[in-house]
Amino acid sequence: MLLKLAFRNIFRQRRRSALTALSIGGGYILCALSFSLIEGSYNNLIELFTLTKTGHVQIHKDNYLDRPKLHKAIDHYETVGHQLQEFEQVKSYSFRIFAPALAYSEEGNHPAQLIGIDLDRERATTLIKDKVTSGNYISEFPDEDGYFQAMIGVSIAESLKIGLGDDLILISEGADGSVANDIFKVGAILGNRGGVEKSNVYLPLNAAQTFLALEGRVHEIVLILDNYQDAEPFAQRLRPAIPDLTISTWQQVEADFYKTMQSDKQGNHVTLGIILFIVFIGVLNTVLMSVLERTKEFGVLKAIGSRPSIIMSLVTLETTLLATISVLVALLIALPVMYWMTYVGFALPEPIDMGGIAISAIRGEMSVFVFVIPFLLLISFALLISIPPGIRAAKISPTQAMRSH
Amino acid sequence: MRINQPLVLGIHFATLFATLFVTIFAAEPLQADNQAPSQADAIKIIDEMEAIYRGDSSRADITMIVQTPQYQREMKMTSSVIGEEQSFIRILSPKKDRGIATLKLDAEMWNYFPKINKVIKVPPSMMMGSWMGSDFTNDDLVKQTTLTEEYDLSLAETATQYTITLIPKAQTVTVWGKVEYVVDRAEMVPVAQNFYDDRGELIRTLAFSDLKQFGDARVPSRLEMIPLNKKGHKTVIIYDDLVFNPTDVDPSVFTLRNLKSRF
Repeated sequence: MLLKLAFRNIFRQRRRSALTALSIGGGYILCALSFSLIEGSYNNLIELFTLTKTGHVQIHKDNYLDRPKLHKAIDHYETVGHQLQEFEQVKSYSFRIFAPALAYSEEGNHPAQLIGIDLDRERATTLIKDKVTSGNYISEFPDEDGYFQAMIGVSIAESLKIGLGDDLILISEGADGSVANDIFKVGAILGNRGGVEKSNVYLPLNAAQTFLALEGRVHEIVLILDNYQDAEPFAQRLRPAIPDLTISTWQQVEADFYKTMQSDKQGNHVTLGIILFIVFIGVLNTVLMSVLERTKEFGVLKAIGSRPSIIMSLVTLETTLLATISVLVALLIALPVMYWMTYVGFALPEPIDMGGIAISAIRGEMSVFVFVIPFLLLISFALLISIPPGIRAAKISPTQAMRSH
Repeated sequence: MRINQPLVLGIHFATLFATLFVTIFAAEPLQADNQAPSQADAIKIIDEMEAIYRGDSSRADITMIVQTPQYQREMKMTSSVIGEEQSFIRILSPKKDRGIATLKLDAEMWNYFPKINKVIKVPPSMMMGSWMGSDFTNDDLVKQTTLTEEYDLSLAETATQYTITLIPKAQTVTVWGKVEYVVDRAEMVPVAQNFYDDRGELIRTLAFSDLKQFGDARVPSRLEMIPLNKKGHKTVIIYDDLVFNPTDVDPSVFTLRNLKSRF
């Protein structure tokens, strides 16, 4: 009975209802698409970021992450690797060694970040192979003259004026205090001038271990999970299994990046909130108008014995119904748009550089979260907003109401 | 490498003897008259101490042991010296570091790394940096000889020891606020050097021990450098052999060409 009444009331004033529906529906589309874009672009960014630099979870000795020292190294890394294989979520893992070094050529010198990587594992874990711009991904074996190969960042190649096959001289400090010095052959050049790896020198793990007198030790185990969102729960599970090492999630490793991202996200949410607020002021206005317009009607209803609660329910129900219908219709419109945003996306004319990671397209995300959150938000706000006019309608005194026109 | 020719050795002993005689003679009035010790005496003592491992020229076989909480490393090396200005060190073992050499000419210093066939000049900014991962700085190898020129000296003596306090002159560029030089009076050999920063805090000590006879000279054969601001760190230098005025130590040793030569 009440439902029927509500429906009839909605369709009685078609133009007003349509306008209200438009504003609610429009609000929903805007909200859902923004959500999709925010989530999507950040997901892409995080995916790219973790796959390029940090991985999802990292394992170090002690506080290596905060105070890297050459001798803070993991010596039983192979065992830890076997332990990691027992976790299903672990997609892949890799071992790394780090040291600051000075790179020399006949032409000059350049400071470099030396990174020893487990070549096969690193390739399966991060996007390093895709960064090779010239040459080939190096092998872990020395050439016939006994020289190991190295992959160097663009800045080093440019400032040392060296290319593929040329000698690269590295000088660093060995873990035993000796002066590490050796010649390597340039096997590949990586990345671009804006890339994070522009001043890096990658060596095969075994070569780096010998070079730095760190035989049988690594500084970092980096792992990739099925989903980056599992990083924290996975780290919690891993900690008791490897109590002697420090386990950090990508959020901890790149705390600055993560914080910037979070605050940026919050900023976006505030903007969305303002949009929604404006939408609801409009809705409030329409609902209030429709109540005022029907004062006489409500007076009659009361006069024939309707309880105030019935009248209030009627007003709220009308609004909620209208909101639900418009959101559902809006959802149908939003779906294909979101699909396009997720799978095609806006290509950026110039890739944006964020923390050294180049973003070439903005993509949305399609997930239950993206649909449901704005949905619930709009319906509950509609409900909330219809309460004051409802109360007003319920309080109407029949005599006064029937006198008005 | 060592000199086995008695004749040559004899000649050099003679020179050495003359040097020693002069030294002892020069030191005599210091102990004889009871006047307050002067800066001149202090300079004389320091000069004498600084020359003790050097002579006019010398060659030494040295073992250096670097200890840290993380590792211990032992290096064998030979060192050649002429006067104050020229010195040359070549690492013999471990195999990994064999052939690494350091040349010091006046106040300049170069390192040579045979594996990469590269001579690298030690820049002034690296002078306080560690020499080959030890607790000795590059500056220790280069500048120590000019102590008497760049510091104001004052001498205090007890029955057995001289203590010379060196305060840097206003224009001297150094990280030390004060250096104490302790000398054994009977043997006339250094006992310890204590290095203080400009707040007067003791930063590191160099202790001399194990007197050993090398040729005509009795010198402490064991030097221990202990940096007090780095827990568990220590560098020990042991003189396995020390030959004064060897024949093969001539100016041609102290050249960049020799630095780069294969051996």
